[in-house]
Amino acid sequence: MLHACVYATILLGFFGLIFKENLVMKIIAMDVMSTGVIALFVLVAAREGVYTPIVSASPRAAFADPVPQAVILTAIVIGFSIQALMLVGVIKLARDNPTLETREIEKEYRP
Amino acid sequence: MTAWTIGWIALPFFVGFSLYLLPQVNGLLKSVLDPRVLALSVPLISAAYAVSLFWQPVPLNLQLLDHFGVTLLADTLSAYFILTNALVTAAVILYCWDTGKTAFFYTQAVILHGSINAIFICADFISVYVALEVIGIAAFLLVAYPRSNRTLWVALRYLFVSNTAMLFYLMGAVLVYQTHESFAFTGLRGAPPEAVALILVGLLTKGGIFMSGLWLPLTHSEAESPVSALLSGVVAKAGVFPLVRCALLVEELEPLMQLLGVAAALLGVTYALVETDAKRVLACSTLSQVGWVLAVPEVAGFYALAHGVGKASLFLTVGNLSSRNLTVLQQQPISTHLWLPLTLASLSISGCPGLVGFGAKISTLQQALPWQNIALNVAATGTAALYAKFIFLPHQRPQTQGGWIAAAQPGLWAALALLLGSLLIANAGYPGAYTWLNSLKVLAIIGGGWLIHWLLIQRVTLTLPRGLEAFEHLIGGMSLMLIALFWMVWSWLAI
Repeated sequence: MLHACVYATILLGFFGLIFKENLVMKIIAMDVMSTGVIALFVLVAAREGVYTPIVSASPRAAFADPVPQAVILTAIVIGFSIQALMLVGVIKLARDNPTLETREIEKEYRP
Repeated sequence: MTAWTIGWIALPFFVGFSLYLLPQVNGLLKSVLDPRVLALSVPLISAAYAVSLFWQPVPLNLQLLDHFGVTLLADTLSAYFILTNALVTAAVILYCWDTGKTAFFYTQAVILHGSINAIFICADFISVYVALEVIGIAAFLLVAYPRSNRTLWVALRYLFVSNTAMLFYLMGAVLVYQTHESFAFTGLRGAPPEAVALILVGLLTKGGIFMSGLWLPLTHSEAESPVSALLSGVVAKAGVFPLVRCALLVEELEPLMQLLGVAAALLGVTYALVETDAKRVLACSTLSQVGWVLAVPEVAGFYALAHGVGKASLFLTVGNLSSRNLTVLQQQPISTHLWLPLTLASLSISGCPGLVGFGAKISTLQQALPWQNIALNVAATGTAALYAKFIFLPHQRPQTQGGWIAAAQPGLWAALALLLGSLLIANAGYPGAYTWLNSLKVLAIIGGGWLIHWLLIQRVTLTLPRGLEAFEHLIGGMSLMLIALFWMVWSWLAI
């Protein structure tokens, strides 16, 4: 069930990326897609347990796997910085193309 | 060797950030702390590292942390790619020496150099992911450096495509981890087909191979010439290298790579033959040449070196022509001083004996499978035909004062000396290619290509629709490629 929801999120984000006209909406759709991917990592990490893996006196068996969580932390930071960079680019583009429609922009800047 | 490797990997990031943060000083320190000098030192050290790798008798295999940590693998294949990266970056920095580029530009160039180096010795999916994303950001900033709306849009489009591809790649990486509890490349063996397809679609898009690479012509042709040289010379290889490495580590993948490589080689040539814009011809030719690199993974390193050096010199030279339009250039003779390097580099990529392209082409054709050989010979003839567009441009000695120095940007000559010199010296990489039979074969291919150029390409004007290069189709094409790859991996590969 959770897997289905995660894949649905990724797919919805991807469709948004294709079907949304506006550049800002496309960036948001990409964010939705990357949220789905992050959730997938968390889900894979939790497949054997959900407890935080901390060394303590009373050992518990069902620990979550820390590796995918550590990895996705890097990916979250990267994804976030890329989105920030894109938004800066879009702000600059918006000055001359206030509607930010991809097709119009593409038509204008095609050689 | 371990300390040397880690120090060398970290150095570009250290130098890159510090050359941007260093204050401007005067006096003796000025010449040492000049951003250009600092930036140039990095590729020189990389070249030294590549040479030390060539002398290394056994591949260097490092497992940092544990089986889930960082895996590094440096061998002769890496050495060829690292050397390409060092030569192209050094040439670009030399080219930009007197163009008044700010420290920001050099910072990005050095960081790009460092992250591409990292790709060439990585052997696990997450390190490759991080390095590819850094490459994406640095390449975005370099393409957008002129800050005009048009370059900004081209850069944004690139970042969109590359980031979407990397999201697919991440999904594949976590599925591999789920199967093996490790991110190492060898984990592809035994991974579910959807994981393999997702990872492949990410890497194919980054490397600009076959249909996934259609974003490449516009990006590479609209960037400034030095940036195009970097993009075509080495950035495209950063996507191809992990594919080559995977194909060598996991033999089950190799048939798929051979097929995709040949398909890309043919597609790129078809696009390039009908183009009339000089930079687009070169960009489409990159699309075809990365296919050559991938088609025969065993000799990918040498081919990548030959192509990277040749393509960088072509882009730098074409940036100095009076027009980008080849039909216009047919009417206005270009300066002979520019025509000479253009012809040398074109001949090298066409595979003319005496230049490194000959050895690279022969070694690839010798290792190719029989069915690949036929297709690759067709692609080689096409390549010769498309470079004939540059070789047969009318040229004359310039009438203006100043001779050859004034014919182009001053940095061009230093960059070309480095690149064309290595085109000649790298010939030593495969002296076994020089037999009468091989030379005759290649000359026949080039002759055939030139004949096609004279009889067909010069007379017929044909344009291919550019619809597939529209932004939405690029993203949509990714999903189609994903389905096709899934089907191929599932039904065909014994993985």
